[in-house]
Amino acid sequence: MSNYIIEAENLCFSYKSEDGTALPVIKNLTFGIEAGSFVAILGHNGSGKSTLAKLCNMILTPDSGKLRVGGVDVTDENLTEDDIYNLRRKIGMVFQNPDNQLVATIVEEDIAFGPENLGIAPGEIRRRVDDALRAVNMTEFARHSPSQLSGGQKQRIAIAGIIAMLPDCIIFDESTAMLDPIGRAEVMETIERLNREKGITVLLITHYMDEALRADRVMVMNRGELFLDDTPRRVFSQVDKLKSVGLDVPQVTDLVNRLRTEAGFAIPADILHSAEAVEILAKLYHEIGGKH
Amino acid sequence: MEEAKKAASIALRDVTYRYSIGTPFEKAALENVSLEFEGGIITGLMGHTGSGKSTIAQLLNGLLKPTEGQVLLDGRDIWEDPKKISAVRFRVGLVFQYPEYQLFEETVLRDIAYGPGNMGLSQEEINRRVADAARFAGVTPDLFEKSPFELSGGQKRRVAIAGVMAMDPEILVLDEPAAGLDPRGRKEILGGIRAYQREKKNTIIIISHSMEDMAVYADKLMVLDHGHVSRYGTAHDIFCHAEELKQVGLSRPQITKFIMELQKAGIPVESGIYTVDSAYREVLRIFKEKERG
Amino acid sequence: MLKDITLGQYFPGNSILHKLDPRMKIFLIIIYIVTIFAANNPVSFVLVLASAFVLMFLSKIPAKLILGGLKAVFFIMAFTAVINIFWTTGEHLLVDVGFIKIYAEGIEYAVFMIVRVISLIIGSSVLLTYTTSPIALTDGLERVLAPLKVLHIPVHEFSMMMTIALRFIPTLIEETDKIISAQKARGADFSSGNLMQRAKALIPVMVPLFVSAFHRADELAVAMECRCYRGGEGRTRMTQLHYHTRDFLMLGALLLFMAVVIVLNFVF
Repeated sequence: MSNYIIEAENLCFSYKSEDGTALPVIKNLTFGIEAGSFVAILGHNGSGKSTLAKLCNMILTPDSGKLRVGGVDVTDENLTEDDIYNLRRKIGMVFQNPDNQLVATIVEEDIAFGPENLGIAPGEIRRRVDDALRAVNMTEFARHSPSQLSGGQKQRIAIAGIIAMLPDCIIFDESTAMLDPIGRAEVMETIERLNREKGITVLLITHYMDEALRADRVMVMNRGELFLDDTPRRVFSQVDKLKSVGLDVPQVTDLVNRLRTEAGFAIPADILHSAEAVEILAKLYHEIGGKH
Repeated sequence: MEEAKKAASIALRDVTYRYSIGTPFEKAALENVSLEFEGGIITGLMGHTGSGKSTIAQLLNGLLKPTEGQVLLDGRDIWEDPKKISAVRFRVGLVFQYPEYQLFEETVLRDIAYGPGNMGLSQEEINRRVADAARFAGVTPDLFEKSPFELSGGQKRRVAIAGVMAMDPEILVLDEPAAGLDPRGRKEILGGIRAYQREKKNTIIIISHSMEDMAVYADKLMVLDHGHVSRYGTAHDIFCHAEELKQVGLSRPQITKFIMELQKAGIPVESGIYTVDSAYREVLRIFKEKERG
Repeated sequence: MLKDITLGQYFPGNSILHKLDPRMKIFLIIIYIVTIFAANNPVSFVLVLASAFVLMFLSKIPAKLILGGLKAVFFIMAFTAVINIFWTTGEHLLVDVGFIKIYAEGIEYAVFMIVRVISLIIGSSVLLTYTTSPIALTDGLERVLAPLKVLHIPVHEFSMMMTIALRFIPTLIEETDKIISAQKARGADFSSGNLMQRAKALIPVMVPLFVSAFHRADELAVAMECRCYRGGEGRTRMTQLHYHTRDFLMLGALLLFMAVVIVLNFVF
């Protein structure tokens, strides 16, 4: 058995427009997501990254190709409703707008929504809700109404609602796009912790480069195809390639790249974190002094 | 005549604004605030959530009335005659956060024309303004006859911004115009606003919490902290005091932090750097200086 | 501003009425309403009015708040009273000025009617709306009505709809505020012109509001499906409701009260 939680082979999907023409958004995609990993999916709007997320959760059905999620072949025509139900429990999803995914008027009631749908015993739900609240650091807000919370807090409640279903993998579909910097930081910190401590596989769809830097692996999508797929270090060293598909690179990466290519500094191509860059520049700078 | 050409300035004088007066939820959003936005430039108004930015935006064009104090448009209180407040709204345009929610017309062109249509202008003038605004906001002619609801998120945003630009306001206030867009979309929107200002030479206030963006697109930055101006000046002035930004809950550009780390590592680069370009030049300069001895 | 409207008027607290089981409260309110309408003599009415104030006291909600709520129905009460005074005929004529005839019975009916309305409003607001959170109320209703499922009445679905409505009312109110402001900023005028013009001026508010509500509904439906929602079948609940001694004490007290009022009907 493979260690992939999501596995796609020649996956294709297109939207049908009103006049009947098909608009391909996912073209021949082949990849595998390892269980327990933290993968960022980058791409500008319309690159197909959100469609990919919806395919993984069976909100959309592929046109052709194979897609196995949590060991279930979602292209299998004999799939029962229970199979889909099971798959959705294992693969949680957090969306962009925090307002449009909370159901109840009290935080803890909302978190209980998923487990209640699964038919879990009341005592067990209570335990899971408390655990989930703790995991997102929102215990003190258990009895609040979602409308009293900030965007970042609402999004953490949405995450808690998914955690309470004990998923193997969570897909974040631009979940930080509508948040302010403080909210984004809160949510990113929560996501990282879930991955490291609970071993939940994280698929983070984003267009923030600094968020992608924190992943184990970065997949860059462009026009429905996989454009780059590597470690953040190797992806972000390809500055020109990223810029060609309308993506930014982190500022320090950009600077280091220019120093290396334009000014001929002796810096390795795969500098990722600013601490590494500082260290190398300081070394180069003090070496100049050494010659005199 | 010289006077007439000068771009309008707008200021708050000792303004206090309280929400839900007389209910248990009464709360002051702003307390005794005085500030001025210079005419003819782009000012980036920055502050963390809850610092009062959005309240200021709505005070500036008379959607909210100060509980105490005055809003001065070119030195005159906009609430002098409350009946004429709609005239103030034509002079001070406001683009809300996520403005695509305001689209309602059948076609893009008609939606952009809604604002100018309310101003009682001639059809000719309306057409001219709509065409102008569409160009600045980056709404291409192929979209004109489409329904605004079939556009992509970024296109909707541009149509909504064009709808306010078409009113040709002397002062244009935009609340987070690039929120939620991808990097390419952000650049297109902010670049368009800048080009618009450069041609119209009017006064623009952009509310944002993105230091990276404002450092590039604004002429001057105003930093708010709990409803008070904690710093005002050019990007260089502001980023010379980068430590302070952290205290008011704003994140500094990654490059600014990086330059500060270089200083700590014993490389004597100058403070106040906030773009990759200037950082590149500064690093080259300091290395060359040392090579020369 | 629209935001200032407090919906449902729930007033959080810790009184015995707050702690009652929502299901029990629904039964209690039914008993209470029956009692109010069973009363038909002065002694009963004094008792009914007194009971309303006892309930108010038990709820620990400021009297000012509850009595303030009566202001809204003042005109209805005054109108009913006037109708009763002038249109009721009886045996004891008090005033006779030309076409105006006022009978003692008319005044009695008017007073009874006012006492009924006041007790009804105070009783139902302190028993239900002020002391029960909307979510507890919906929950209580779903469970009280659960037996109707046998008759294929979609009790769970109605309750889910109520919950979602309650959840989204603040969001939609905020959104309406925002859209109105945005259109005002584009020069919309909602306050002048004739009825037709004003109605037309609302189009720029209504269209975006509907578009957004449908969009939200769409996203919410997907989010709910992703959280394994498939109707009430096989669903459990985290919070289990249990009747406590206080619930039965209140029930006993109210049943006794009803009995007294009914007995009094035969005495007078």
